[in-house]
Amino acid sequence: MVADAHWRDIPSYERMAIPGLARHAGAACVLIALLAAWWLASAGGLVSAFLLPLPETVLATGWELISDGTLGAHVAVSIGRILAGYGLAVALALPLAFLFGVSPAARRAFEPVLEFLRQVPPLAMMPLLILWLGIGEAQKIGIIVLACFFPIFLGALGGIAQCDPKLVEVGRVCGLPQRDLLRRIVLPAALPSIVIGLRIALGQGWRALVGAELVASAAGLGYMIVDAEQLARTDIVIVGIFVIGTLGLLADFGVRRLIARTAPWLRQRTEITHA
Amino acid sequence: MLELRGLGKRYTVREREVVALAEVDLALPPGSFTVVVGRSGCGKSTLLRLLAGLTAPTTGEISHSRGRPTVGCVFQEPRLMPWLTVTGNVGFGLVGKVAKVEIAARVEAALALVGLADFRHAYPDQLSGGMASRVGLARALVLEPELLLLDEPFAALDAFTRRGLQGELTDIWLARRPTVVFVTHDVEEAVLLADEVVHMDGGRIIGRRPVPLPRPRDATDRELVALRRAILDDLSGSAGRRPQPAQDFLHRDPFLHRDPFLQQETTP
Repeated sequence: MVADAHWRDIPSYERMAIPGLARHAGAACVLIALLAAWWLASAGGLVSAFLLPLPETVLATGWELISDGTLGAHVAVSIGRILAGYGLAVALALPLAFLFGVSPAARRAFEPVLEFLRQVPPLAMMPLLILWLGIGEAQKIGIIVLACFFPIFLGALGGIAQCDPKLVEVGRVCGLPQRDLLRRIVLPAALPSIVIGLRIALGQGWRALVGAELVASAAGLGYMIVDAEQLARTDIVIVGIFVIGTLGLLADFGVRRLIARTAPWLRQRTEITHA
Repeated sequence: MLELRGLGKRYTVREREVVALAEVDLALPPGSFTVVVGRSGCGKSTLLRLLAGLTAPTTGEISHSRGRPTVGCVFQEPRLMPWLTVTGNVGFGLVGKVAKVEIAARVEAALALVGLADFRHAYPDQLSGGMASRVGLARALVLEPELLLLDEPFAALDAFTRRGLQGELTDIWLARRPTVVFVTHDVEEAVLLADEVVHMDGGRIIGRRPVPLPRPRDATDRELVALRRAILDDLSGSAGRRPQPAQDFLHRDPFLHRDPFLQQETTP
């Protein structure tokens, strides 16, 4: 037996990791520095407290909004819209990407239209969506669908197109029929790109949501921010921004945890910074 | 008996016809170990791809005395599925064809054969080059192939690992006796492994040399060194016949938008 049993049991991405507290020290330092700069700017009078309230004021406002249930109600409405829009985008984009992946003819036929639509920012479609769908939920969900669709669609399509042909050959030598080549090789190989598309779309969805809620809305985090702006409540505006950012981070963290638990091989391949 | 009659492969590249394999005739007895040597681009990989059914011949035919043989193929790179563990990769070709219990048993046997039983749950990312090559070999062996095709499987490995795997391959062949076609450009490897060395150049078979040496073989054995030198002399003598680069535009994969064979075939 060959004595090359060099068991590289530590993946490269883990070998590069800095252990324990030191790993988070850098991020913590940046966060503390930003908070300190904010506090100094506000307390020192560099920026008016009206434009930039003190961190403790924002914290108190946040607590107040949580206590009286206002924040929870807005968050629930926004999350509901995100789930509906994101879910619809996934349901549309993934099958379409697979169809285009297996049918170059369909891809050629639809590519110009999709490429055209991809260039249009979702918020630019808002007036049209208001005219078509009214000012209710459908219009807001429509904006989220438009924002999420292309990252998911392009991620899946790119993943299928970039499947290593040498892996397909392995399947051919094993005598796999075409549908099994697709199911057992092409789709798993496309998974890293699909997951990256899903993660990017999640961020895009949150951005579009706020845009959609800024117009003709009576609830949601975007509405809460606009309403606060009209009442000159900068503290509420900042609370809204923090909540949106935190929810986006939590959603992304959830996806990453899910990947780490269910498909450890995907971890390194689905880091957006490595994409 | 595996017989190749007038087997040829031509490609059309920008309206120019390129001959990758020119009417090869070859008969391989069952259980034989044939090593095909030749310079890069001489047509040896094309020959292997035709035998594996990865591309169709332009002329001629391949026939086997027992109909369509079970084929196992080991590639130059291990080509492991990164989303599958070692067990999943080794059993890949059996899924849907035999019962799960039998897959598990055959995978375990193949892993024991290549010495990777302790690494059954590892992912390809976690394996060394030599271990990944052994997984590729086990994936082919688990199919219990009548015809085992190997395309420079140890070319990317260090000399020590390569020598070990050559020994393992010989042992496996002696135990199971599949018909082996092994492609390499390493003449020493050829004489260490082969029953017969087939020498290709310009898409043709231009020489065949039996290797009537007992196993296990030693690379420093006088007869083996003499045989190696003779084959090298053959190769030097055919240096003038340079083949043309080839590309396979004939078998496009319908859903990949890219020719799965293109990269392989364009490698000079």
